[in-house]
Amino acid sequence: MNVKIFGAILVILACGGMGFSIAAAYRMEEKALQQFISALEYMSCDLQYRMTSLPELCRQTSSQVKGMVGEVLMRLANELDRQISPDAESCMHAALQAVPHLPDSVRDNFLMLGQTLGRFHLTGQLSGLESVQQLCRRDLEGLRANRDVRIRSYETLGICAGVALVIIFI
Amino acid sequence: MKCAWQELLGILPMWLRQDVDKLGRDTLQEIRLRLGKPPELVLKDRRINLKRAVMADDIHFAVNTACRYSPWTADGAASGYITAPGGHRIGLCGETVVQNGSMTGIRSVRSLNIRVARDFPGIGFGLAAYPGSMLILGRPGWGKTTLLRDLIRQLSEKENVSVVDERGELFPVCAGINCFDTGKRTDVLTGCPKAQGLDAVLRTMSPDTIAVDEITAAADCEALIRAGWCGVRLLATLHAASRKDLYSRSVYQPIVKSRLFETLVILQPDKSWRTERMEP
Repeated sequence: MNVKIFGAILVILACGGMGFSIAAAYRMEEKALQQFISALEYMSCDLQYRMTSLPELCRQTSSQVKGMVGEVLMRLANELDRQISPDAESCMHAALQAVPHLPDSVRDNFLMLGQTLGRFHLTGQLSGLESVQQLCRRDLEGLRANRDVRIRSYETLGICAGVALVIIFI
Repeated sequence: MKCAWQELLGILPMWLRQDVDKLGRDTLQEIRLRLGKPPELVLKDRRINLKRAVMADDIHFAVNTACRYSPWTADGAASGYITAPGGHRIGLCGETVVQNGSMTGIRSVRSLNIRVARDFPGIGFGLAAYPGSMLILGRPGWGKTTLLRDLIRQLSEKENVSVVDERGELFPVCAGINCFDTGKRTDVLTGCPKAQGLDAVLRTMSPDTIAVDEITAAADCEALIRAGWCGVRLLATLHAASRKDLYSRSVYQPIVKSRLFETLVILQPDKSWRTERMEP
């Protein structure tokens, strides 16, 4: 009997943990998108006033924005400094490969950013950054719609799934 | 002779570096990369075509590494050139973007002309003794910038020389230090348009001499004349093969008529030079 109870607790904990981890990933994606938007704002401001070169700009931004976004930008700066890729987009691909746990929406936006980098004049470059910022905002709004309900649902579903499995097995 | 050779090799595609290093270390003047064609190395006495064809990625690589993936930092990128680290000038050709009648960028770059910047200390020996303002004339590639650089160095032994180096070719910077010796009393304003730069150094640097490279626009001529009438000696280079060319081009008429310049230094294809007095 004790074994059954112990097993049931384990199943509920495992399923509940799964639900909570999905909810945590949801929160992490939201946080990463917020960080990404902050990074893009910083880059736009710095470009307008100092016209910083791209490797230096990425390095500065990575020190301002922590977390996964900062990590990608730091890797991008290193990749640009190595000067072995033909363009910034290729450098971005290489940098993203080194950060595998990045949420898909953030990864897609980083790829979009890679495509816009390296424009021939500042106005074009700034408008490229602005368009990526808009995409990020749109994704963030999508995540924030019914955010609390969704997170609670993931957590509850996890626990309920665990309980259901326990009932079936017992 | 000095040249930022490693900086030059650094902007070339990997497969090209070894050949360029082997064939052109001492006499290379230009590298021409054209999409789909083999690279052409222009040496002092001959031209060499390599075998492998240039791909689009090779051109992108050269452009991006020359400006550290940041074409917006290179002021001339939208005008069809980039100054690479080491002062090497890269001319760009391809499909341009034109807005409101002026070129704002290049959509796809299809050919590059990489001109190797070299410094020959002593090439202008004796020129510093000539009085008054000087105009250095020569066709592209005849060594106007090289001669001006040496003249600036010579003059800066005795007086304050301010240099308005719009394209960063006279005294380029490599990793934070000057690639070429600037001389004892030289102040360099880099990246600033010539007309604004001339006014700025005149007001702030108390120069005895002001030097500018490649006068091409009417605004540059006007700024030169303004500075010249303030009692400053001027050194300038412009595109003209002879006195006749100089007098024929309408954009240079204000300079000719101003009588500010006393000496013409006329370059020859073999990079030697001779002086003439400007006609009164």
